[in-house]
Amino acid sequence: MSQEIEQLLSGLHPLERKVLATLKIRPTLWDHVLMQESGLDESRLSMAFGWLLTKGIAKVEEEKATPFVSITELGRKYAEHGIPEKRILNRLKAGEKISVKNLSELESLDSSEVSTALGNLRNKDHEVVWMGPGGVLEPTGASLPVMIEGLLPELLRRLSATAGSINESDLSSEEKHLLDDVLEKKWKTRGVIKRNEKKSKCLALTELGRDLVRQLTPDMGGVEEVAQLTPDLLKDDAWRGKSFRKYNIGLKPSRTAAGRKHPYREFLDSVKVKLVSMGFEEMRGPLVESEFWNSDALFMPQFHPARDIHDVYFVDHPKSVTSLPEPYAAQVGKTHETGWKTGSHGWRYSFDPERAKRLVLRSQGTSVSARTLAASPKIPGKYFSIARCFRYDLVDATHAPDFFQVEGIALGEAITFRTLLGLLKLFATEMAHATEVKYLPAYFPYTEPSVEMHVKHPKLGWMELGGAGLFRPEVTGPLGVKVPVIAWGLGLDRMAMVALGIGDIRDLFSSDLDLIRTKRARG
Amino acid sequence: MPTIQIKMKDLEHLLGRSITLSELGDRLPLVKGEIKGYDEATGEMKLELNDTNRPDLWCVEGVARQIRTHRLKKAVPYPFYNGKRKAAAVVEVAPSLKTIRPYIGACIARGLMISDEALVQLIQTQEKLSESFGRKRQLVSIGLYRFAEISFPVTYKTVRPDEVRFVPLGFDSAMTLRAILEKHPKGMTYAGILSTASEYPLLVDRENKILSFPPIINSRDVGEVQVGDRDLFVEVTGTDLRMVILTVNILAANLSDRGAGIEPVEVRYPYPTDFGRKITMPMGLAKPMTVALNHFNSALGETISMPKAVSVLKAYGYDAKSRGRNLAVSVPAYRDDLLHPVDVVEDFAISRGYESFEPEMPSEFTVGGLSPIEQFSDRARESMIGMGFQEVISNILTNREESVVRMNRPDSNGNGDLVMVENVMSQTYSALRNRIIPSLLRVEAASSKSFYPHRIFEAGDTAIMDAKAPEGTRTALKLAVLIAHPAANFSELHSGLDLLMYYIGKPYQLEPAVHPSFIDGRAGRIVSGGRAVGLIGELHPQVLQNWQIIMPCAAFELDLGLLV
Repeated sequence: MSQEIEQLLSGLHPLERKVLATLKIRPTLWDHVLMQESGLDESRLSMAFGWLLTKGIAKVEEEKATPFVSITELGRKYAEHGIPEKRILNRLKAGEKISVKNLSELESLDSSEVSTALGNLRNKDHEVVWMGPGGVLEPTGASLPVMIEGLLPELLRRLSATAGSINESDLSSEEKHLLDDVLEKKWKTRGVIKRNEKKSKCLALTELGRDLVRQLTPDMGGVEEVAQLTPDLLKDDAWRGKSFRKYNIGLKPSRTAAGRKHPYREFLDSVKVKLVSMGFEEMRGPLVESEFWNSDALFMPQFHPARDIHDVYFVDHPKSVTSLPEPYAAQVGKTHETGWKTGSHGWRYSFDPERAKRLVLRSQGTSVSARTLAASPKIPGKYFSIARCFRYDLVDATHAPDFFQVEGIALGEAITFRTLLGLLKLFATEMAHATEVKYLPAYFPYTEPSVEMHVKHPKLGWMELGGAGLFRPEVTGPLGVKVPVIAWGLGLDRMAMVALGIGDIRDLFSSDLDLIRTKRARG
Repeated sequence: MPTIQIKMKDLEHLLGRSITLSELGDRLPLVKGEIKGYDEATGEMKLELNDTNRPDLWCVEGVARQIRTHRLKKAVPYPFYNGKRKAAAVVEVAPSLKTIRPYIGACIARGLMISDEALVQLIQTQEKLSESFGRKRQLVSIGLYRFAEISFPVTYKTVRPDEVRFVPLGFDSAMTLRAILEKHPKGMTYAGILSTASEYPLLVDRENKILSFPPIINSRDVGEVQVGDRDLFVEVTGTDLRMVILTVNILAANLSDRGAGIEPVEVRYPYPTDFGRKITMPMGLAKPMTVALNHFNSALGETISMPKAVSVLKAYGYDAKSRGRNLAVSVPAYRDDLLHPVDVVEDFAISRGYESFEPEMPSEFTVGGLSPIEQFSDRARESMIGMGFQEVISNILTNREESVVRMNRPDSNGNGDLVMVENVMSQTYSALRNRIIPSLLRVEAASSKSFYPHRIFEAGDTAIMDAKAPEGTRTALKLAVLIAHPAANFSELHSGLDLLMYYIGKPYQLEPAVHPSFIDGRAGRIVSGGRAVGLIGELHPQVLQNWQIIMPCAAFELDLGLLV
């Protein structure tokens, strides 16, 4: 016996064994015959046959469609109690006075059954009943047509006796005629019979199958097969001496859903862990922010174009904060106007505290850094935030309505332009595994010098990773910070998108559960 | 950020030499520039200039000038900035402009030969300076005229809207100023600048010939500069005198770079200005700044010698002199961006090249950590994941339809305590979410094809109206959980809530609650530590139908900030 056959034999399910035992005697069989011979019902047969097909033991030799008729629930009811027309006529013939109104109660028929029966009894071409005064029914003396009287009840009885369906080829010609009339609604019908088509298959053994059945013995040495280990089998020690049916472990398993992080959150979580490991402390700030913290404290003049109605979302209600934080607001205002004590000559315009009170949707995570500067930060200290920000942009493949900004600050006596570059280099290697780094001059309203960092990612090539700079004295001074401060921001979305195989930034916030369930970060 | 279109040939002409693409790439950090596109066939290039404070760099002349300066290792000389030369012409200002558009500046460029490309660049520069730097002509606008057509002095005055008529650029018939604001495309675009004025600015010459209607449109007869013109009158009006002067200075340098001789123009004001009543432009603007050499050392983290500081700054166009341990520095008159010595320090670093600084690892020890609320949220997230829930994330910007209407919340509630955006761009994103359950229903509504059961959650920020908070709103970190499958119900979800509260260590009770989003009798208020911290319930069939969901759902939501 070849090893393949041996394996197949030992892995056969009892249902498969039954099918094969039948096919061993008659190698080619129509499925309905096979059903009778093997004693399996339709669903079990199809299950077993499906397995045999995938294993290459059996095959479909031929397929054909067999029309058949089947009985409905209503049909079964009539088969048992007789059809309503006959029942009504019998009552009338027995001399009962029946009006249309009490018909349904008498024979427990619903209104549609009543109207169908009356329709047939009062057929224009063949009136069996006519309606007298007060809706009282009276027989005309005519009999019901043979089809209704005899053939239909007979067919219904036959159908209900033979598991509900009969092949059309087994019907008599009168029955076929009746069927056509019933189904084509010559008679008012009520869905007692349905016509259908059955796909039947002619099944045969493959060459492998023929080899296999030759080795097939009626029982495998009299050993009882266990399908599922149960607590009882264990408790009673009853599993001993039995064999376990072998599974086909090559079959594809059914799908299961996992509990897991959103892949983008997972990415951001790893960034968070990285930053904490580098000694950064998390800071948080509000989504709805005053222009004071969003812009003024960052030395962005009130006429700055990025503060325009076309760049920032303004809040409709409430419109403004009730008061500004002092002494910071006064100091920031003076710095804008004349530079205050910062050594700057300021923006030379008249600062409007009311404008500073205006509420906006946070447009940059730097507002969180500004709040931290004013809240007695640790020196030396390092802080970060992963803040949801809002930009007034049309939403498209590169602009999400709101997005995460990863940024922060580092404060310390020893901070210089060179430590700024050093910190950026650390980010480049830790966050992007960069092999090369380029620092380019950049412009941000609140830092000087300002740097843009481009890195060579091992897979993505050159890309912009982030921007940074030393906060201007006009930012730190009015907020009470006397040491140099690095402000940095990282643009990680592109890296996340590539890692997740996403080309459209909106997909990072997708509502499609299938997409969320299947996305995973690549290496 | 300004993006300009230039021609490589024109750039090379202004540089006085040819330059390769890669060499240009190496030089562009000097102007914070980036190539955004290059067509080899036509030699056309798109350049993005990132320094918002250096309008002199938003043109090909300025880019070439900064690169040339660096190669020459000193500033390109522009003698017309010294302000001592006699004015070649005069502009008189009428008193009525004081409250309308008070400032004007001008100069004359002679002996120019305006080529096609020079004209294209001149118009582009005019556009960038008046649109971006001049805030859509509000602060600064520019007029260019054929010098030969004008008899000086020119008068800057005001007239009533229907007092005069002239033929504006782009039209064939004379119009009143009122008609120009109502019918001319430029008039309609910029009419807002004059919305409060009862009289409008007008520029006329000695013969009362109309030059223009600043800041709207030039006269077709005098103000249409063409290829081949040799002599130009350049005029800048505005509401900020420093910006007006700076704009004249930039235009003068650009025209000079293209071969023009610049002649100063004197403006006579009937009212005082920061620069006096008689101002001759172009003129120097910024006062010299004193920077301690030590400032370079402490900011840059290395010791810079005085001669090195001087030479590197000069190579960026500065006038720099050693004054003991300090430097006295000033920038050419086409710049007015020095606010603080740190600006000089950055220019030094750019001039020497960022790559010449050795990065130094920050060595000061700091302890990292997460905020308490974030740690708490992470614990809750881990618990939900452990129970087999899939995390989702959603946008915070949403709308009233999803947050209020679909959630069956009574209309009498108005916006349902949502923070609404005032300058709405798209109705889809017109409010901040105050609850996360609608976000989860959005996911469910979009995911009927994904195999069931659905067990999802989101932890994220929401904005809650709160009269006690300084901002009138409070950012609340919430956790919402939703189950959806044919047999999803309260008790299954309640088990999940119960386990979560156990793991995060928060005892709680449920109190019956009536809420329009949930089925009556199947909703509860989650109470912990004596206060309501959330809601749980089976979602109301009407809510599900509002979302076109045909799967039973149950959900709960917790305000983590109230629990931490």
